[in-house]
Amino acid sequence: MKSWLPRLDWALLLIMLCLAGIGLVTLYAAVHQGGIGLWQRQVVYWLVGLGMFFIVCLIPVRVLALMTWPAYLTALITLMLVPVLGDVQMGARRWLDLGVVYFQPSELMKWALMLLMAHWFAARHAASLKDMLLAMVFAVVPAGLIIIQPDLGTSLLLLLSAVVMVFAAGLPWRWATYGVVAGLVSLPVLWQTMHAYQKQRVLSFLHPEADPLGAGYHVIQSSIAIGSGGLFGKGYLQGTQARLHFLPEQHTDFIFAVLAEEGGLIASSLLLFLYALLISRIVTIASRAATRFGAMLCIGIAAIFALYVLINIGMVSGVMPVVGVPLPFVSYGGSALITMLAALGMVMRVHIESREKLPWQRPGSPFA
Amino acid sequence: MTASSLELRSRFERRIFFLQLVAALLLLLLFVRVADLQWLQHEGFLLQAERNRVNVVPILPTRGEITDRNGVGLALNLVSYNLTLIPERVEDMDAALIRIKALMHWSDERMKNLRKRIKRSRDDRPVLLADKLDWEAVSQIAARLHHLPGIDVQAGTHRHYPYGADTSHVVGYVSLARGDDVKAGVLSSEKVGRRGVEHAFEKRLHGELGSQYEEVDAHGRRISAFKRTPSTMGERLQLSLDIRLQQAASKALGKRTGAVVVLDVQSGEILTLLSKPGFEPNRFITGLETEQWQEWINDPQHPLINRTIQAAYPPASTFKLLVGLAALQEGAPLAHKSTQCRGFVELSDRKYRCWKRKGHDKVDMHKAVVESCDVYFYRLGDQLGMPAISNVAQQWGLGQKSGIDIGPEAVGTVPMMGSQQGTRRWYRGDTLITAIGQGSITATPMQMARAVAAIANGGKLLRPLLLAGQAAEIERQIDVKPEQLQTIRSAMRDVVASVHGTAHRAMGRLAWTAAGKTGTAQVVAEAQDDEAQATEKPQKRKHKDHAWFVGYTPYEHPRFAIAVFVEHGGHGSTGAAPVAAAVVRAMAEAAEADGAKSDAMHADTSAGDEMPLGVDEGD
Repeated sequence: MKSWLPRLDWALLLIMLCLAGIGLVTLYAAVHQGGIGLWQRQVVYWLVGLGMFFIVCLIPVRVLALMTWPAYLTALITLMLVPVLGDVQMGARRWLDLGVVYFQPSELMKWALMLLMAHWFAARHAASLKDMLLAMVFAVVPAGLIIIQPDLGTSLLLLLSAVVMVFAAGLPWRWATYGVVAGLVSLPVLWQTMHAYQKQRVLSFLHPEADPLGAGYHVIQSSIAIGSGGLFGKGYLQGTQARLHFLPEQHTDFIFAVLAEEGGLIASSLLLFLYALLISRIVTIASRAATRFGAMLCIGIAAIFALYVLINIGMVSGVMPVVGVPLPFVSYGGSALITMLAALGMVMRVHIESREKLPWQRPGSPFA
Repeated sequence: MTASSLELRSRFERRIFFLQLVAALLLLLLFVRVADLQWLQHEGFLLQAERNRVNVVPILPTRGEITDRNGVGLALNLVSYNLTLIPERVEDMDAALIRIKALMHWSDERMKNLRKRIKRSRDDRPVLLADKLDWEAVSQIAARLHHLPGIDVQAGTHRHYPYGADTSHVVGYVSLARGDDVKAGVLSSEKVGRRGVEHAFEKRLHGELGSQYEEVDAHGRRISAFKRTPSTMGERLQLSLDIRLQQAASKALGKRTGAVVVLDVQSGEILTLLSKPGFEPNRFITGLETEQWQEWINDPQHPLINRTIQAAYPPASTFKLLVGLAALQEGAPLAHKSTQCRGFVELSDRKYRCWKRKGHDKVDMHKAVVESCDVYFYRLGDQLGMPAISNVAQQWGLGQKSGIDIGPEAVGTVPMMGSQQGTRRWYRGDTLITAIGQGSITATPMQMARAVAAIANGGKLLRPLLLAGQAAEIERQIDVKPEQLQTIRSAMRDVVASVHGTAHRAMGRLAWTAAGKTGTAQVVAEAQDDEAQATEKPQKRKHKDHAWFVGYTPYEHPRFAIAVFVEHGGHGSTGAAPVAAAVVRAMAEAAEADGAKSDAMHADTSAGDEMPLGVDEGD
């Protein structure tokens, strides 16, 4: 323990604790009217999550590498079982049962896929185009399973994080360009396969004022909340949009609007800045990683965090269609928070191992 | 470490750098967007947020009342106490519902419905948990209100039907808005008319929502109210119904299943539209609609069917009136001659019996109607042929909707030669059976009442009207000569007046002269040959014949047409005619009461030779 503690990355820990603070303070504002129990539960989730963080810190990176295939396959199989189990467990308690079965596989898959891709590319230093295509197959299959659940947000996140990984692994620029073009061309196809309510969301994103009380309501109300906050905000617990329940889902997906309304541009840019720091810190750790697996792992985790933040705040501020993605460390929700903290534990582990002076890191080594 | 791996590593770092750049750029764009909202567009959004402090609270309209032709209330609004819940103000929904359940002793089923309704409704709108709370319940709840945030007892109104089951089919009932009503723009706490007048005239009865703007503080509590637009009360509807006749008919039918229709022969106004058994509309309790519904649906007596317009039965001997008219209209030779009834006719080895086994001896049309001779009409029908019979039946309104405002309506069946249901071909004997109103021909009591009204008023087929004060709507003038009508009318008169008439015993000594025709519809086909025998021994209810009476009154100056149908009521003369007699007696009494009233009011004006039945009639 003695040799372990000083090797922690204190910058990462500090960013984490700042996010914990701002997250809990904001959540309190969102739920203090009648939902204080949710806030107390979130405090417990933080404690559990921090415990997870330190436990994961103790797991050597090479052990993580061993867990990649089992984790991915478990996630894939449970994902495939969802429709089957879902049918069997009809009835009054369905949502409870599904709460366990439905949510977990896609949540697990996000991280398992990232681990697998890190492992895949770590073993293939000079990955061929075939390797990369295979890696994309690993992502497309679960993304397809998730999109029929239907959960557009998570499958989008899965695909985009896989793209980032493939790109980091050295996808030739030419192919990257082709990929972007192919993606744009396939948009109409995607549109055809979308559910009516998903189309509705996209349409209402393009023209929120067309139906102010219907599908556009969420975005209009959250824009009002953010905009009316101004530079300095309306004051803690003074946001009228949140108080008067004009904000939808104000303790989960739309919690950013509560922060922006009560804390103003100061608070919202502070949070954005914290996210930027977190991501850049993780990338820094990636660039110093002792192994290629560790580096790819950190890139994947940074990509997931970045995508979470971009999709969520983009949606709440009206520049993205409404897809259900939580704001990391701020939105209410136990399993998302705990898995995120576990992921940060992996990052920390990568950092710890990079400071163990491995042969090529000693003075005189080309990487030193 | 080789040179190539070194090169790989630096390429990896270039990629990482690029990705970081993209991430930073995107985060910067987000920042720009947020700054745009919070800095540049701040003023506009602040204004919108201020406006959001104002809630618009709907004010429910009062539903229009429904009365009979004399202003007697049939559907009223009574002040009562409602229990409401505003979901967003309830801290712990499960706990709150458990408390309410214990307090009100509600069933699990009811709680399940309640949860469904709470889920469906908007968070900031009150959900109606229960209406018509009694005082005990109000005091129980009121004492515990401070433990139950978001739950409130409010004064409101509920619909009350003073005549209950007697007017259930014609007036209908109201219940809470369902999913499809809400989609159509009705608030989930509003009530919507179901069935009868409540349903048919929903738009007029409903009234317009009002609204109240309320300023709320940061906690959603009301600070002040302004800009109140009051709700508009729904229209008060006066029906043409006379509740006294409706009640008299109900009393006369008693516990029997059946239907009574009374029409004004000149205007087509409906004075009685009774179907028994009815259902008790006041037993509807918010949250229990489905259970009540199930109970009625499973009732073997089918109380939800409005037998006046939704059920068609063989018209039996009452149909002979139309066959007789057909013969007169079409000029069938037998119509002006007489024939010999020996109790049966024989046709291709089969005997078609008259109800009177020993026969009616010599019969002409008059006697055949008065004594309801089957043999005469077998022969008449045979002479006429099926096309003429169905043609005339349709002329007089059978096989088509009467056009009454409430529904849905059954059309009944008028068989056509060659197009009857099933694959069986039409035999000559089928025409004989149809000529006495048996077999596949069916009619609703409303259709029969309409046909009789047309006989009484000179051949005008009218649309039955439910609202008072409407102008008569003549659907068509039937091509029939006055002397042809008179032949049938005088025969109908003697059905009641002559000692041989089938309705004489029941209706011969009424204050108002009546004319009519009885009918006995066979339920079991085999009874055809042994009817006389069969009626002597007690039958099981479901095998007992249906009883009909159709007629009009007074004979000299016809005013009202009556159709009485009693399911498994036995003979028309004993099962249905007494009911018609009771209705005619009630008419006379009502006219006398109204006359006395108008005498008292205008002591100097003498009552005319025809006493007004309704106060607003003739004005």
